[in-house]
Amino acid sequence: MAGMGAEVDPQVRGLVRRLEERYVEALDGRRMEAWLDCFTADGSYYVTGADNDADGLPLCLMMDDCRERLEDRVTFVNEVWPGSFEDYRTRHFVQPVRLESAGGEPGVYRALANFTVFATDARGRTSLFIAGEYRDRVRVEGEDCRYVERRVVMDTFTTPGVIVYPL
Amino acid sequence: MNGGRRAPSSPRTAGEEAFNGAPKRRWPARFNEAPKWAVEDPAVFDLEIERIFEGPLWHVVGHVAELDAPGRFKTTTLGRTPLILVHGADGRVRAFHNSCAHRGTMVETRFRGVADGFECPYHRWFYGLDGSLRRAPGEKEFPESFDRSGHGLAAARAETFAGLVFVSLHAEPPPLQDWLGTIRPALRAALGGDGRLRLLGYQKVEFAANWKVYADDEGYHAPLLHRAFRILKWRAGEGAQRRDPNGHRITRTRSDPQGSAGLLRDPDLIAYRGGDAPRNKFADQAAGSLLVTPWPLGAIMNHLDVINARFANPRDAERTEVQYAYFAHLDDDEEMARHRLRQSSNLIGPSGFISLEDGAVFARIQRGLHSRPDTTRYVRGWSDDADYDPFDVSQNDETTNTGWWDVYRRTMGYAR
Repeated sequence: MAGMGAEVDPQVRGLVRRLEERYVEALDGRRMEAWLDCFTADGSYYVTGADNDADGLPLCLMMDDCRERLEDRVTFVNEVWPGSFEDYRTRHFVQPVRLESAGGEPGVYRALANFTVFATDARGRTSLFIAGEYRDRVRVEGEDCRYVERRVVMDTFTTPGVIVYPL
Repeated sequence: MNGGRRAPSSPRTAGEEAFNGAPKRRWPARFNEAPKWAVEDPAVFDLEIERIFEGPLWHVVGHVAELDAPGRFKTTTLGRTPLILVHGADGRVRAFHNSCAHRGTMVETRFRGVADGFECPYHRWFYGLDGSLRRAPGEKEFPESFDRSGHGLAAARAETFAGLVFVSLHAEPPPLQDWLGTIRPALRAALGGDGRLRLLGYQKVEFAANWKVYADDEGYHAPLLHRAFRILKWRAGEGAQRRDPNGHRITRTRSDPQGSAGLLRDPDLIAYRGGDAPRNKFADQAAGSLLVTPWPLGAIMNHLDVINARFANPRDAERTEVQYAYFAHLDDDEEMARHRLRQSSNLIGPSGFISLEDGAVFARIQRGLHSRPDTTRYVRGWSDDADYDPFDVSQNDETTNTGWWDVYRRTMGYAR
């Protein structure tokens, strides 16, 4: 089992849990600045399909591998795209699966979680939008806890239409 | 008609008589109108399967870079027919019906993989990479006349051009070179000059729209739709469209992304690094885009440094699956391949910074179509006194759409 080793400190576990809550609240509340604030200054965010992931193919649907790209995504969601797509409401459900020390890097932890996102259209019809896995590296410094990397691997790699908001 | 294929499965509506085998429906007299019934009637879809997807023409289904080694296969669907594309031990790419010659079970269900053959799970018939039947357990109990050589996987015609894999389910399609006609140089240019590519990966999406709604938008890019273009201050207008008599379209632009860094914190998203190398579009294009759309549903795009092929197929009359495949060129150094990867991942596709609006509009068009007036109209670039069919038009004009629809009308057998 990959999660062998010392049990993660309950306080760290609580901080990571709080980060997950902030992340979900930011996205479902459509507050992109708060989403950005979940990442460290050197943080990165990737969304790819389980097909590419299993095949070792590097292409992503979102490849925000530096702060500038994360900020550009905020700009596009907030300023560029509104009005040109049928808006939808999201609900994220996250199930933590594993948390362990990353080893080597002090204060950095590896986390794994399952997620589902439901989407509701303008007529109030809800459907399962994307299911998948979060593969995270989280950095904890005192009370501060953020994603160094969040890699979203979508089981739903044939997506039902466009993906406007990060997952 | 293509021999041996089943007839359309829906009964004809009472009162409809056959015209050249097609339901007698009135196609608009005006060249710049297309009937809305063509994108929502399930009976039309049945006829499209026969006339277009199983008809005497070629469909883009893949690129050899996806099948990069002997035994590498990919499955796909053309119309309603499940197919396996496979790189044989002899280096040839072949296409087979993905269906056991015994009882019809699908022999491979994975999207892509490496295999030394295909085994049907039902009775363990095993086929080689060349489609031939190698093993059939219990053969001793088969009739004496049973001959393995007559029970291979059914082949579909498959040929390549610049590495693109074209398939025809019809026994007698025209020669591929003739079918591609005038778009051959543009296809080569869009595929890096020679089609020597390396697969970077996929973005896959299913749009809730008829395949013609997707195809109608994909070949021409509505400039008003693309708010991102305006915000990036990309110059428009320095472009041209050309259509081929077979319905294919070429759109080329010289969009200039310079001076747009004000909005983007990471200007690499729209940086052009291809230089003058012949592996990027036509020599006079520099940055910009070259989009080639082989009729009916293919789309090959080279935009900035992105090399992209879109393989699309209808799931039914109201759903279209599109697989965006992205490539680097085999001659790229590591830095250039990395640049293409970063640009490809964020620029286009179902969550692309500059393409999201395209994908977002398809379902909305589909939902608006059961309505008056009963035709859609193409107006930009159209001239009142013309009852004509231009081949060279300005970028963003809608007149290549009319040419696309006329090839459709003739292929389906509808009288104007």
